[in-house]
Amino acid sequence: MKTDLSVKFSKLTLQNPVFVASGTCGYVDELSDFIDINALGGFITKSITPLPRPGNDTPRTVETDAGMLNAIGLANIGCERFIAEKLPLMQNFKTPFFVNIAGRTIEDYICVAERLADKNQIAGLELNISCPNVKAGGITFGTDPAAVSQITKAVRKAAGNKILIVKLTPNVTDISITARAAVENGADALSLVNTFTAMAVDIETRKPVLANRTGGLSGPAIKPIAIYMVNKVYNEVARPAAIPILGGGGICNAGDALEFIMAGASAVFVGTANFLCPTAATGIIAGIEKWLISHGISEISELIGCLK
Amino acid sequence: MNVPEVFLRKGLTKTFEKFMHRPQTTQQKGPYNATVESNILRSGKFGRLTLRLEGTAAQVFRVAKPGQFAQFDVSNLRIPPAELIPDELVNSAKRNVILRRPLSLAGISDIADAEAVLLDILYCIVGPGSLRLSTAEKGDRISLIGPLGRGFFVPAGKKLALLVAGGMGAPPLQHLAGYLREKHKNIEVLAFAGAKTITDLPYFDIDISKVSDKPDFSIREFSRYAVKSLPATDDGSAGFKGFVTECMRKWLDANKIKPSDAIIYACGPELMLKAAADLATDYGIDCQVSLEQNMACGTGLCQSCAVKCCCPNGEKIYKLCCKDGPVFDSREVVWE
Ligand SMILES: Cc1cc2nc3c(=O)[nH]c(=O)nc-3n(C[C@H](O)[C@H](O)[C@H](O)COP(=O)(O)OP(=O)(O)OC[C@H]3O[C@@H](n4cnc5c(N)ncnc54)[C@H](O)[C@@H]3O)c2cc1C
Ligand SMILES: Cc1cc2nc3c(=O)[nH]c(=O)nc-3n(C[C@H](O)[C@H](O)[C@H](O)COP(=O)(O)O)c2cc1C
Ligand code: FES
Repeated sequence: MKTDLSVKFSKLTLQNPVFVASGTCGYVDELSDFIDINALGGFITKSITPLPRPGNDTPRTVETDAGMLNAIGLANIGCERFIAEKLPLMQNFKTPFFVNIAGRTIEDYICVAERLADKNQIAGLELNISCPNVKAGGITFGTDPAAVSQITKAVRKAAGNKILIVKLTPNVTDISITARAAVENGADALSLVNTFTAMAVDIETRKPVLANRTGGLSGPAIKPIAIYMVNKVYNEVARPAAIPILGGGGICNAGDALEFIMAGASAVFVGTANFLCPTAATGIIAGIEKWLISHGISEISELIGCLK
Repeated sequence: MNVPEVFLRKGLTKTFEKFMHRPQTTQQKGPYNATVESNILRSGKFGRLTLRLEGTAAQVFRVAKPGQFAQFDVSNLRIPPAELIPDELVNSAKRNVILRRPLSLAGISDIADAEAVLLDILYCIVGPGSLRLSTAEKGDRISLIGPLGRGFFVPAGKKLALLVAGGMGAPPLQHLAGYLREKHKNIEVLAFAGAKTITDLPYFDIDISKVSDKPDFSIREFSRYAVKSLPATDDGSAGFKGFVTECMRKWLDANKIKPSDAIIYACGPELMLKAAADLATDYGIDCQVSLEQNMACGTGLCQSCAVKCCCPNGEKIYKLCCKDGPVFDSREVVWE
């Protein structure tokens, strides 16, 4: 029996549903020492801002129970160097690349989106309106439905015919409200979740462990909440609007990925697990295939949102 | 911007340039499975883990450079029984460990008649990860990624290498001592080994009766390579009384050396490294330091291990400890 791992994702058909997540896989080929980038369903770059950003002071990360906190501070080389140095490398791969974009003002987002709109190396953009680290940016957009509407609309216009994924923050009371704001203003897909704002304390120094004081929690610790949110958004927003969900948060193995898919995700992203093992994403693809074969399922797309 | 003064001294910029362009390993980095050969504990604080690597892992680690490290998955190892958990660790011992732990390579040796190598690791028990490592037994399997990072660099023309190890900074310098002995026989090597007190000296084979205030063969980890050492403890319980960098200043004052002939290699707590960097500037000696930063990936993916650096043109940038380092030229680091 032949298994078909391909899934439809907006106007693309992906060879399999597994992406690597923004901020956990570099810009293009950093994982090449370990895996074949071409084996991935999709790739999302780290957040790009109009100007280079050095990032926060250290410590920037700390391990917590079954997870980790990060406050990297959107460290990146900036839009122009990204276009000059990294985009050309993408030509070596057939995987669809999505550039994650971030900023402090709507103009920042528009600026990066406009610069990338005509670049044929990339399939689309992922709008990071949810990075909880940067004092003036991220969080304000992602938690305010009016701001989500405004920024989605503006970037949609700037992004030409690129696929626009809006990445939602889980740090809200009702994630369906911001999901709806994004979909009604032109999002082609939704991705969720970004990290949960959190803190760890060093009881000897009585200080927060991270230099930034707070950070975003990721890893297995957030998985059940992320799955709940994917299922909620699937039922209340995405399925009615026929918009695909890119789901993730704590995915470490094929079983985790299948949970997200059954809850309503058309594709999944692997983040923190790349740190635990840089071959995690390709291992998950192989694991999904094996599971489908052993369960006599010929097409993975049958499983999307199949929750009884 | 102004060129930092430390870069202006004659001749030093050139060695710095060469250092910056030292090669990065491009070999396959795993993940590999290693088998535990032995795991010996000393005074409940330190352990020496010897791992057996075979196949591709043996090939790539055989040529690993001193100063490089590996990322170890300790999540599957046992937690010791409650009565064996040190008081300081009772709160964290059972934490669900997920990230790998970075540890330096302390030595690599061939096994006669086998396509395998033995990799030595020295670790200090400080938290849930290293505590799990202490329970590893012969035959256990441990996954590792490596060799990672860029190690120490030996510029041409050096005649004297001064190793400065503070506490748990010893492992990469032991590896370096062996490497220099094998590959740079004409370079004289001397090791300064510091710690707070005698029981904190992380050496398994130290003959305290031989310790004097002159370079001696008391530490076998160095003497096996015919390298003399000078121990220093803050409380004077072994060797020189005071900081290891003070011990080194005293030695430099007593031994007239030509600064351009010498190079300092340092690894240890950040304050000690800063003191070593200051000393190197004062005496006009090249100095390379091996730094530590919290690491999540160790492979250049997460940007967690940022080190504030100063370029020769004066620009301040963050470099990655895991990819650009962990070994840096002491002049490029912005010491805070
Ligand atoms: C490149 C590199 C090489 C290293 N080589 C060695 C080695 O050869 N032998 C050895 O014993 N240790 C080495 N370390 C430090 C070692 O990685 C940490 O001690 C270890 O990760 C602690 O894990 P844990 O779970 O036991 O403790 P954690 O709970 O993670 O930490 C316990 C305590 O150690 C501190 N700590 C944790 N990680 C680090 C770190 N990376 N650097 C400094 N302090 C840290 C924490 O702040 C905390 O106070 C190295 C670190 C790096 C970055
Ligand atoms: C170190 C680190 C850096 C991250 N950087 C970004 C980023 O730049 N932009 C972004 O949208 N998300 C970023 N994320 C969030 C991840 O893409 C992902 O949404 C989140 O970590 C949850 O998935 P996980 O549990 O699989 O890691 C980052 C996460 C981590 C751990
Ligand atoms: S530890 Fe992740 S980039 Fe260095």
